[in-house]
Order: sequence, then structure tokens, then C-alpha cells
Amino acid sequence: MARLALVLGTLAAILYPIPLQIQGTTYYQTVGFLVLITAMLGVGWNVIGGWAGQFDFGPQVFFGVGAYTAALLYVKLGVEAWLGLLAGVAAAAVICAVLTYPLTRLRGHYFAISTVAIWMIAQPIGATWEYIGAAQGLFIPMKAHPGIVGSAVALQFSGPTKALGYYYSALVLFALTVALMAWVERSKLGFYFRAIRDDQEAAESIGIDSRLYKVLARSITAGVFAAGGVLYAFWALSVFPEQVLELNWSTLPIMATVVGGIGRLWGPLLGAVILIPISQIMSTTLGTGPLAGRGIDLIVYGLIIVVIAAFRPTGLLSLPWARWFGRRRPAAA
Amino acid sequence: MTELAQAVVNGLQMGFLYALVAVGLTIIWGLMEMINFAHGEFLMLGMFGAWWLSAGFHLDPLLAIVPIALAMYLFGMLVYQQLMRRVQGGDPFTQIFATIGLLFLLQNAVVAGFTSDYRFVNDTFLQKLGGVRLTLLGVTFAVPLLLAAGLALLLFLALYLLIERTEFGLALQATSEDRDAARLVGIRPQRMFAVAWGVGAALVAIAGAILVNFFSVYPQVGLQFTVLAYAIVALGGFGSILGTLLAALLVGVIQSVTVVYLPPAFKDAFVFASYLLIGLFRPQGLFGRF
Repeated sequence: MARLALVLGTLAAILYPIPLQIQGTTYYQTVGFLVLITAMLGVGWNVIGGWAGQFDFGPQVFFGVGAYTAALLYVKLGVEAWLGLLAGVAAAAVICAVLTYPLTRLRGHYFAISTVAIWMIAQPIGATWEYIGAAQGLFIPMKAHPGIVGSAVALQFSGPTKALGYYYSALVLFALTVALMAWVERSKLGFYFRAIRDDQEAAESIGIDSRLYKVLARSITAGVFAAGGVLYAFWALSVFPEQVLELNWSTLPIMATVVGGIGRLWGPLLGAVILIPISQIMSTTLGTGPLAGRGIDLIVYGLIIVVIAAFRPTGLLSLPWARWFGRRRPAAA
Repeated sequence: MTELAQAVVNGLQMGFLYALVAVGLTIIWGLMEMINFAHGEFLMLGMFGAWWLSAGFHLDPLLAIVPIALAMYLFGMLVYQQLMRRVQGGDPFTQIFATIGLLFLLQNAVVAGFTSDYRFVNDTFLQKLGGVRLTLLGVTFAVPLLLAAGLALLLFLALYLLIERTEFGLALQATSEDRDAARLVGIRPQRMFAVAWGVGAALVAIAGAILVNFFSVYPQVGLQFTVLAYAIVALGGFGSILGTLLAALLVGVIQSVTVVYLPPAFKDAFVFASYLLIGLFRPQGLFGRF
């Protein structure tokens, strides 16, 4: 059942943009790109938030670290995007580990505020540091690339295939992230994370170094956010503090994760597939016309969130899907 | 030297205003351990209410405190009973999710009703006192801010007495410490939570009615105050009312002294850097019990 869903889902994700592309629309490919990037960040955030159970509201710092690292390497040294992505992931994981280790002395809400604190400190640094372009940030120039392969290698797409190219790049990154996190979930690491979440004292009493594994969990999250940041930077062709250090880069993935089901590998994807198109469709339908600029779209969006939270606090993946759909298969067979 | 002393005094005066915003959060987040991302929107509603009563009915914001506090008390209870009570049993992150939805809803409902324009109240009692200043040893005190600080102190005293010295306050503390044990001795936890949400919302709305004398009002006004309020509650220590007050004063002073020596962009960064530094030595905040 699960395997069938996986195959069908993969096929749908690969095939759905093709008829649209032939028709000449690119809007839904961009929506798909945003869905995938949000889902990918959510899958990453699940490690620290869902499995290790720590309140982390500051992963957007590492989204910025990744974006800036790759952009700097590209602009100043001419390093290609995918190498820059590896460097960005490594830089974010290391910086995150160094910053987070002392913070793991703090627990619960105190830890949560400390992650916000790092974000609050990163913002003025990003806005005033001349080397990384201060408030104007960095502009990522387009270079000419021969053919589809050249564009894909350089992570630079333009013209009518821009949305499609970034959609498939996001799909590849998302698939890689899910595969890696599925492995982490089943490995010893995943069990240690969940042991710390469920009972930190008990985990420590059987020899799990809770501070070390919290740092590891947050660094994995930071790495995923950095990869997302690099992808976004090359899509946006620029990196500046107000864009990559924006609070939405943590609230949207967290909301997607909670809607889908926190601590579940596929939860963030389900949440992102629901939340992002709703907000996009509403801002294009309700956000224009006579009531434009009056925030009607966001009122409806807020209402939907409040209703989901009130009636299914444990997330949509916790609904009895297996009972609804699982029983049909043996009956048919 | 005088410059530094003046910065400290200015910081203390701002600190009392921050304390007002933070105290409602101390009840809901610090004491009852429920997360409310829409706290800033409660503040915004208080400010808008005061502006509306002042512009439409010529009611001074200081007098508007009474109807606004009452209305927001009921609103806070409503939010708990209709939304947060359902969310409470689930994962704590669901509370974040629910209150972010509430944030979108409230903020944009106000945008829909009043647009995103900046609004100001005019000719209030505190503003008419605006020119009056006291000078002591070369340091200037603005009288309106002093009065606001006095009001903040009174509110803190009342709240302290309510939580620490009344039977109701003890019941509230018991609920926050052990819900099941509280139920055994006849306390109804859900009622306690509802009242806590009511009191928290009323307090932050009162803060709004006072702040409206000094700051402009617009639907997104909440965020700039609440990010600091979260840091203040954590810095003071969860559940400590005195801690919240002292942390707020400290934050005000850190900000105004930072601005003397560094670009203004860093004033919040230094507050949060101090939080991290203090956290390394006092992981439970300055006055936290846990």
C-alpha cells in the first residue's frame, strides 16, 4: 500500500508539469517549486523538532548561511552552484554545531528563545557586513550555458524553462533529503533522537550524551536548510538579508510539518501540498479585484489553519488513512 | 558620563513599557506554559481599540483602559475555550500552529477593517504633559513616561498580589504545576486556563492602551514588541513576575546604552546576545523556578 502510494506519488510529481509546460503555462511549476522547497525544509526541521523534540525557531539562519556561502563562492571565486551547495551545507552544519553546543545547556522554551536569539543577532550582521554586500546583498549573475545539461550542472535556468528546471532541481533535492532522513530515522541516530525527546533523563542514564545528539540533530536540520537556501538563491538570482533571513523560512516549514503530522517522514510534504497552493491560489484570486490589499486572502488562510488545528491537533497523517483506504485492497484482491 | 546616565534613565523608562507588554505573556506562556504567537496581535487590538475610542468618542486612552481590558478579558477566554482547549492535548507545536493562524486572522481582519495605514491618537492627557520635564543632576526625565512607568508598577503589584497572595492565584499556580493533582483538590483546570488567557489578554490590551500615547498604530505593530517580550519572559525566568519586571528594565537599559556606542541596527542583537550570555550561567533565567 505504502509502496504503491510512493510509486504513484513519484510518477505524479515527475509527470504533472509536462502537459502544463507543453501548454505554455509556468505558474504551477513555480508553485510546485515552492511546495517542494517548503516540504524539504520541513523534512529537515522534523529532525530537531519532530524526532529530537527541541523547539527550534531559528533554522532560517542556516538557510541564509547556505545561500550566502554558495553565492560568495560563485561571485568571488566562480565556483559552480552544486559545489557551492556542498560547501554551504558543510559550512552551515559546522557553524550550527559550534553555536548550538553551548546552547544545549538551556532546555525547553529557554532553548527555543536562544535559537531566536541567534537569528536576531544574525540579522544586523547580515545587514551591515560589507564583504557580503550588507543590506544590498549579493547579485548572482547569469552565465551562458549550453543546453539542458549545462543548465542543470550550473543550476541556472532561464526563459520559459526556468520554472520547470528549478522544479526538477527541487524534486531531486527533496528526494535526496527524504532518502537521507529515512535512513537517519531507522539508524541508531534516529532512536537516540527520539529517546531524548521522550525522556532526556532516561536517555542519559543509558549512556546517550544528550547534548551531543541535540547538536547533531540541529546540524542535520541546518544542513538541509542550507541546501534549500542555495537552491532558492540561484532561483532568485540574489541573496540579501531581508530575503534569506526572513522568518517565513522557519514558520512555513514548521506549519507544513504540523499540518501533515509532526515526526512523520512524509508529514511535511502533505502539509506543504495543502498549505502552499491554498495561500498561492488565494492570493491570486482573493488578493486581486475590488478587495485587493485588504488581506482577505490571509484572513481565509488564517481561518483554515485555525480550523485544522482545532479539529485535528495531531496532524492530518494521524487520521485513520489505513482504515479508510487499506481495507479496500484485500476486499478487491 | 551624563550621556551614559541619561541613556540608563531612558532605558529604564522604556523598560517599564516593555514590562507592560511582557507581563501578559508571563501569565499565558511563563506560568501556564502555553505558547501564544498571537500575543502581539492582542497588543495590536488593545492599541486599535484605544485609538478607535479616542478618535470616535473622544475617550482618553487612559480611561479607555477599562472597557478595553474588559472586552479583551472576554476575548482571551473565548480564544482559549474555542481554540486552545482543543489544541492543548496535542503536541506543543500545534499551539504554535494554531496561534499563527490566529495571528493571520486577527492581523488581516484589522487590515480589512481599517487598512494598513499608520494612525495616531491626538491630544491625550499624557501627550499634553509632553513638554513637562524634570531635570535632576543633569539627567532629564519625561513626565508622561514616568507616569506610564508608575502605571506599569501598579499593574505589576496588583498582579503579584493576585498570583502570590490570593486563593485564586494559588489555584492558578497549582494548575500550572500539576493539572491532575489540582483536579483532585477541586480546582477546575480548564476554568483556570480560561481565566489565565483572559487575564493575559486583558493585561496586554492595557499595555496597548498606554503604548498608544507614545507609538503609532498599524496592524503589524505587534511583532516589534513581542519578539522582545518573549526574550524578557525567558530572561526573567518562567513564572516569575518580579523576574519579568527586572528583565524588562534590563532589556531597556541594554538597548539604550547599546545605541550610544553602536549602530542602532544592533540594539536588539545586544539584548539577545545578553540573553545567551546570561543563559550560559543561569539556564533557568534570572528568577526562574524551573
